[in-house]
Amino acid sequence: MAQRVAIESWDPDYGVPSTEHTEETDVEIDVGVEVPEDRWGPIPARTEQRPEALLFIDGVRRIDANAWLDDGRIPVRQGMFASFAAGAVRVVEQAHVDRVEVRRTLFAPGNPEAFVTRGGTYEPFGVATPGADALSSALQERLGDLEVEVASRVADNADLVVVDGPLYRRAHLPRTIGYVKTHRVQHLKGRPAETIAVLAAGERTPVFRFRTSWTRHAWYLRLPGPKAHAWSGVVRMEATADLALDETLAMANLTAGVLPRYASEPHKDPRAPQNLYPIAGLERELRRRLGDAVYVDRALRAAAG
Amino acid sequence: MPEALDTLGVGRVLGTDDATPLSFWVALGPDQYLQLDDVVALERLLPDGDTVRIYGLVTEVRARHEGARFDSDVFLIEDGILPAEVSQAAQILATRFEPEVFVPPLPGQPVYKAEGDERDMALYFDGMEKRLPAGLTRDDEPLYANLEFLDGSRGAHVNISGISGVATKTTYATFLLYSLFRSGVLGGEAINTKALIYNVKGEDLLFLDRDNRELEDEDRDRYQRLGLPPGAFDSVDFYASPRRDDPIAAPDVSTRQKGVTSYFWTLSEFCAEGLLPFVFADAEDDRQQYTIIIHNVVAKLRDAAEGLPDGGIAIDGETITDFESLARMIADRLQDDLTSADWAGRAIGQGTVNAFVRRLFGAVPHLKHLIRGNVPNPDRHRIQRQAQVTVVDTHNLNDRAKRFVVGVTLRRAFDEKERAGQQRPLLFVVLDELNKYAPREGSSPIKEILVDMSERGRSLGIILIGAQQTASEVERRIVANSSLRVVGRLDAAEAGRDEYGFLPAVHRQRSTILKPGTMILSQPELPIPLVTQFPFPAWATRASEAAPAKGNDDGDDPFRGLS
Ligand SMILES: Nc1ncnc2c1ncn2[C@@H]1O[C@H](COP(=O)(O)OP(=O)(O)OP(=O)(O)O)[C@@H](O)[C@H]1O
Ligand SMILES: [Mg+2]
Repeated sequence: MAQRVAIESWDPDYGVPSTEHTEETDVEIDVGVEVPEDRWGPIPARTEQRPEALLFIDGVRRIDANAWLDDGRIPVRQGMFASFAAGAVRVVEQAHVDRVEVRRTLFAPGNPEAFVTRGGTYEPFGVATPGADALSSALQERLGDLEVEVASRVADNADLVVVDGPLYRRAHLPRTIGYVKTHRVQHLKGRPAETIAVLAAGERTPVFRFRTSWTRHAWYLRLPGPKAHAWSGVVRMEATADLALDETLAMANLTAGVLPRYASEPHKDPRAPQNLYPIAGLERELRRRLGDAVYVDRALRAAAG
Repeated sequence: MPEALDTLGVGRVLGTDDATPLSFWVALGPDQYLQLDDVVALERLLPDGDTVRIYGLVTEVRARHEGARFDSDVFLIEDGILPAEVSQAAQILATRFEPEVFVPPLPGQPVYKAEGDERDMALYFDGMEKRLPAGLTRDDEPLYANLEFLDGSRGAHVNISGISGVATKTTYATFLLYSLFRSGVLGGEAINTKALIYNVKGEDLLFLDRDNRELEDEDRDRYQRLGLPPGAFDSVDFYASPRRDDPIAAPDVSTRQKGVTSYFWTLSEFCAEGLLPFVFADAEDDRQQYTIIIHNVVAKLRDAAEGLPDGGIAIDGETITDFESLARMIADRLQDDLTSADWAGRAIGQGTVNAFVRRLFGAVPHLKHLIRGNVPNPDRHRIQRQAQVTVVDTHNLNDRAKRFVVGVTLRRAFDEKERAGQQRPLLFVVLDELNKYAPREGSSPIKEILVDMSERGRSLGIILIGAQQTASEVERRIVANSSLRVVGRLDAAEAGRDEYGFLPAVHRQRSTILKPGTMILSQPELPIPLVTQFPFPAWATRASEAAPAKGNDDGDDPFRGLS
């Protein structure tokens, strides 16, 4: 029997766990990479630098519908239709959206079939375990892969590649840093933690090593903007641990010299200043490319019959 | 990036604004542009397999940042901080559907610039059997008006509005005449077709018969593109009012010495043809009680005045040789108890008579050189319409005298046409400052002639090319009866008035920034007016431009007729 699809009538966002990158708590930190712990303190702001070519990479996702799949076997499986897109903004004098890839995928346990709608075809992606969490993390992973795909196509001749979110699984890309805006967990304690609190705009912390399920170098940077609390405007940068120390420090300095210029202002972006202008612009463009949600929903329901 | 457009395509119909059969927007492809007044075409396939071709004109072009949300984003974008693209779009107002299936174009359909035959289709030039070159587009493509809407076949008359000095109303009216006579559109009739032009301001029109030697090659080319030989009018007679207090009645012009004849009316014509009402043609004469006296006096003069060979008259044995004496004689008759009832009419109060007399004497200083006796060879000074173009210069006359001249000459032209009883050959009358002769309010003998002309001229073969600064001050019927409406630069307040309802909003806006030599032309067949430019006059408009006269100068003796 062919695959039958019933679209869940609830809003797809309902009851879906937030799929923001959840930060791991089991961490091991070495703060003595750049300077010993007792010499931690803000590293002065750099004069502004403008690399010849700068890239920002981001991705967006949207669950178009939750669905129930029935191919005659028991049990009926929960599936998820999602659209996601990744793209790049290249800054060479002017900023332009350089490349956008859009995917529509049906996530479901087992071997789902492609699903054709008038809004496009959802390619199948089988997940190993049933349940909403598995679908959701599969989507997250596929999006991550797409970002890597986009980044590796465009990153070649950029002086610096800024990937929105942790560097996880993208560490192999050249001259690439992960850009983390939110900090649910404070990893540093003592003098290093105090250093973050006293950073002035444009200043960064020394580089430290940071290990969870994988290892990278990281540093904090404070962006310009109103300082409402100790962590206002603080972002964390991640770079591959495979680089030599001097190269890592050069990267850290480069980010401090480059990124403050792109910090957004609160009257234009509620996530200011961390949500950098190029990334905010890219995100809007990517959402636009996902297509109109109402239209896509209608197309899905029409195809499900 | 949009997919490559097929060859010649400039963009696609966009879907973020409504596309309607009458108006739609086109997103322009990369490296493509459309400018105002460009002509475009596109094709729409109907479900039954038929195709409709839709033609239109670009009436608005816009550029904007896509990706920007705040005005100040432009700074971020220029600084390379925020990603954005510039998008350009053009608004099209549809002119034609072929066949007439009024469907909107669909978003995504490619749009082409219409050229050659397609452009002619879009602008209905293909269906114009007789097309009158009416100007050029900005890229020097010719634009036409359909002669059938000018020559009386399906319509007649031109009305031109625009502010003084920059609207080039007079020049455009003259250009249209030139085009009529020289484009060949009138065919064999051109030879007999005549024009009567009043020169009301300056002496610009006194050199119509001379090539403009300052005409640039560029403008020469533009005439060629219009199918017009650049040059002067072929056959022109010039008449000017005589100098005041000049016994030999030399023409009152300063820039042209030769080839101008002075005009005036003899007392004998004045009486025989009943020209007195045109002495009372001002707004203030309207609604006056003395109109009845005018009619009586006209009748009396016609009966009692006996014409003399020198143009004077004899009344009751008394010889009168100048207008002032005539006025005095009329006053005497009106105020003398013995003759008053006979001349003024019965039961006319003394006050009314006095008002009439005051008004009559008020006219004397302005008209006495135009109405005279005691002239040898008076026929010489009669305005004949022998040449193809007759210029009647009134620029040295005051308003009252201008009205007299215009009124009398129009009356005569109208009567002659009416008597001839034939529509052809046509007579074109170019009259500036229509608001003076046919103001919206009130009535006067001239206004009646003009309204009559605008209503019956089409069948009589008299075509009025009228101009005024503001159409809102001119009698509605005259404007309404004009098939071709033209505006040059308009004042913003004026452009908003109902009189310009034939202009779409964008054209109204544009009319306020038109440069000299650019006009907006509306004609019945085209739903949208055309913005057109016309070349600089190929005939001289002042002495310094005038190339030497060709041929013999035998009409150029100002003293001719005085021997
Ligand atoms: N084709 C043209 N291109 C540019 N300028 C022109 C053109 N034709 C005439 N002009 C200039 O425009 C000036 C005004 O022209 P014109 O006398 O026709 O205006 P008008 O609207 O009749 O003004 P008015 O209301 O004062 O009578 C002329 O002096 C002439 O120099
Ligand atoms: Mg004029």
